Amino acid sequence: MTMEGTQAADARILARDRALSLLNNITTYVAFAAVAGVGILGTVSALTIPGVAASSTSSATASATTSTPSDSSSTSSSSSVLAPSSGSVSSSSSSGVAVSGGS
Amino acid sequence: MSDIVLWYTTRGAGAVSMILLSAVVILGVLSSLRFQSAGWPRFLTPALHRNLALMTLVFLALHIVTAVVDPFTHLGWLTAVVPFSSYYRTFWLGLGTIAFELLAAVVVTSLLRGLIGQVAWRAIHWLAYASWPVAVIHGFGTGTDALSGWFMVLSIVCVGSVAIAIVYRMLQPPPDPLTSARGEFRSGVSRKLDQ
Repeated sequence: MTMEGTQAADARILARDRALSLLNNITTYVAFAAVAGVGILGTVSALTIPGVAASSTSSATASATTSTPSDSSSTSSSSSVLAPSSGSVSSSSSSGVAVSGGS
Repeated sequence: MSDIVLWYTTRGAGAVSMILLSAVVILGVLSSLRFQSAGWPRFLTPALHRNLALMTLVFLALHIVTAVVDPFTHLGWLTAVVPFSSYYRTFWLGLGTIAFELLAAVVVTSLLRGLIGQVAWRAIHWLAYASWPVAVIHGFGTGTDALSGWFMVLSIVCVGSVAIAIVYRMLQPPPDPLTSARGEFRSGVSRKLDQ
């Protein structure tokens, strides 16, 4: 191989190594961003639809009824905090918050 | 782990999966253009497409596992495997199962490309175009956050980006300079055979 040919091959090898390094960096950054994204978007979703119903007055007796989407039989709960999943919630207190969500 | 943490992780991982899947589709569409520059060799686009596809599967697995193990939902593992077997939002969750299985088929056949051959791989790879919209519709249909402002913006950005990539790809001339010559040759041969 001539001198010019060797230099050209070296340049191609260097370019390929740089490209592979770039690929690894991009993949790593995207992976970290995705993990952070799960946390951030999970937090945002928690703030927008928290899946809890809380009475504004602690003295009020919140009698909430929860039901799973397919379950027609309801269970009564004296707790003011509901599970984060779907279901309809109705409160006997006028200041209660009704939450209905999905999966 | 708390039920609430599982629930929020399910929703966060679902949204991230949609973003990653959209990026995978965009890179797949653009890789057929064979773009390259001095700092971006041609192999980089399909390589990044492959890496992000594998990453999407990981976050989809997180999305599915956290949803299934959430004790409140009682979805069960069958829901993750058999479409339309869920008691809850049967149709919308079934779409999610189908989207996951289509994507899994695309990724697995891509990893086994050398064994199944180029023609079969390409035919199965077209399923990716079905997987992405089914996944997006699943998010709109069953997602708790489907009507939230942030999720709407995210969905519009993802759908818009993929649409722009597809339209851009369709407007570009074929990257293979011999495409038109091959087409003329094939039509010429078929005309001869018809005579």
